[in-house]
Amino acid sequence: MKKILFLSTLFLSIALLSACKKDDDSKETFGTLALEFDNVVGDKDLNMVESTSSDFKYKNGLDQDFNVSLLGYYITQIKLEGPNGETFADPVTTGANATDVKGIYQILESDINSQVVNLSNVPSGKYNKVTFTLGIPAEIVQEGATGGVLDPAEGAWLWNWDAGYIGMAFEGRSPASPVAETQWNPENSVQIHIGGWKDIQDNPNMVNNVKTITLDFGTNVNVGEKYNPSAHINMDLLEVIAGHHATADFTVTNQVHNPAGGHDFAENLHAAFEVDHVHQ
Amino acid sequence: MILVFAVIGCKKDETKKEDKYAFVVPANFPAPVYTFENNPVTEAGFKLGKKLFFDPILSVDNTVSCNNCHNQSLAFADLSLHPFSKGVEERQGIRNAPQLVNLAFMKEFFWDGGVTHLDFVPLNAIESEFEMDEEIGHVIEKLNADPEYPALFEQAFGSSKVTTPLMLHALAQFTTMMVSNNSPYDKYLRGEAALSEHELEGLHLFEQKCQSCHAGILFTDESYRNNGIDTAFTDLGRARITAFDGDIGKFRVPSLRNVAITPPYMHNAKFASLEAVLDHYINGIKPSPSLDASLKNGIPMTPSEKTAIISFLKTLTDKDFTQDERFFRE
Repeated sequence: MKKILFLSTLFLSIALLSACKKDDDSKETFGTLALEFDNVVGDKDLNMVESTSSDFKYKNGLDQDFNVSLLGYYITQIKLEGPNGETFADPVTTGANATDVKGIYQILESDINSQVVNLSNVPSGKYNKVTFTLGIPAEIVQEGATGGVLDPAEGAWLWNWDAGYIGMAFEGRSPASPVAETQWNPENSVQIHIGGWKDIQDNPNMVNNVKTITLDFGTNVNVGEKYNPSAHINMDLLEVIAGHHATADFTVTNQVHNPAGGHDFAENLHAAFEVDHVHQ
Repeated sequence: MILVFAVIGCKKDETKKEDKYAFVVPANFPAPVYTFENNPVTEAGFKLGKKLFFDPILSVDNTVSCNNCHNQSLAFADLSLHPFSKGVEERQGIRNAPQLVNLAFMKEFFWDGGVTHLDFVPLNAIESEFEMDEEIGHVIEKLNADPEYPALFEQAFGSSKVTTPLMLHALAQFTTMMVSNNSPYDKYLRGEAALSEHELEGLHLFEQKCQSCHAGILFTDESYRNNGIDTAFTDLGRARITAFDGDIGKFRVPSLRNVAITPPYMHNAKFASLEAVLDHYINGIKPSPSLDASLKNGIPMTPSEKTAIISFLKTLTDKDFTQDERFFRE
């Protein structure tokens, strides 16, 4: 049932090589590396409020006030690379049982435990780069119903009508948004859900918003039995909604619930992430 | 005649020995698309899926089950009395409920193809406000609180805790088994029965006039096409998924298996009979920007060709499937 989904040829061959090494050299050791995600809004720390709150601490790219009542994103297919050819791929497995689901993380502003991804069994060495997939890509969606962080009854963000997962969700309020109160949303609601994973050859307009993000640590991080390193990654919501590719005007862009609507914000995603600092 | 009975007798004995609940790929079908490696069909899983399929517990007020709109005697299509599905509180859907046939071989689902894995199909019906209008989390709560379901999930999956993926897997075990390959046409292909001359003439005409879209043994090429039903479309069809204007008014090419027992036809239930459908292709095509190129001039058919094609289409009705007792409510 369990399936290893993510092993590119490169990593597979490297894994095989390391396996060979292991036989020859029983001294090969492993360590851990923690990735800690911290969400910010520009130069401010991100603090969430109740969905009906009129406490507006932040301004978007057009000087429109807003607040945040929900924020999160999926991270998967994490890889580490080092200056001397070190590599590590966090195994990704899926299955109906939550315990079968590994290597897929839902980072939620509301859940501090979800903000730390502990990578284990990382071969000892130096690492200076992390790559991850933001959103749930085709190869995972197409495995079918999956448990754990991908179970919609347990809080997974699954679109039913265009089946797939929302890669990043932001919800809040802005006085600039003319949205009226409904049974689902408060007045002045802003909801930007970035999803969509399909690439279809003969239809160039099909939108795939799953992004691969590579970040430099800016230094070499030692991983090994005697170390306990962590990398602090900032995700700047302002870069997502008011970034280099697109800026949201909440008077007109306030309810984004399909792949095409999220496309321009997805193009902002890479710049929203950066490594703030590392602890050795 | 004696020989025929003897042959049938042998076959029956053979099937008795086989596992009735194993998924079997018909010899002339393509490889299944469904991820059976993640969810192999078992008797307990199939029967659990069947119980769920017939159980209105999936809907918000416990009144609507999958079976309400997917009736086995109609190859799991809806009654012709319900051109649009009836949901909770008599709410009406916007499209005609399709038959459920050979789903394990299909890449995409629904008239717009928005769902790309069979596991996810029931979520659409459960959560749609004009179908079951229920929250998936609430369905799972109800199933966990039910006196029977936890034990049945334990039997099927080794876990008495009901979860969304296990519920979806049970339903998929039931629906993947809906294989229709025993129509008179299939028996003709296998050399087990003959078609009449009129039906064979219809088959020949079908190959010339219909098969470019209703292709292969599944009778669909699984493409999305605008077949000239309207000049303007309130239901955007495929464009709802692709957000591409060129896809407005395109809908999935449906399989024609069991087509004679699944009226009305088209996503909007526009045609009540096969005659009306063929008349549409002869001279009813309406122009619009995304109209399929192959239909711009209609499909010419004489009245006698039309009746021959219809007599062939009737050979796609699979009574072994519509009367297969494995699918009967228990």
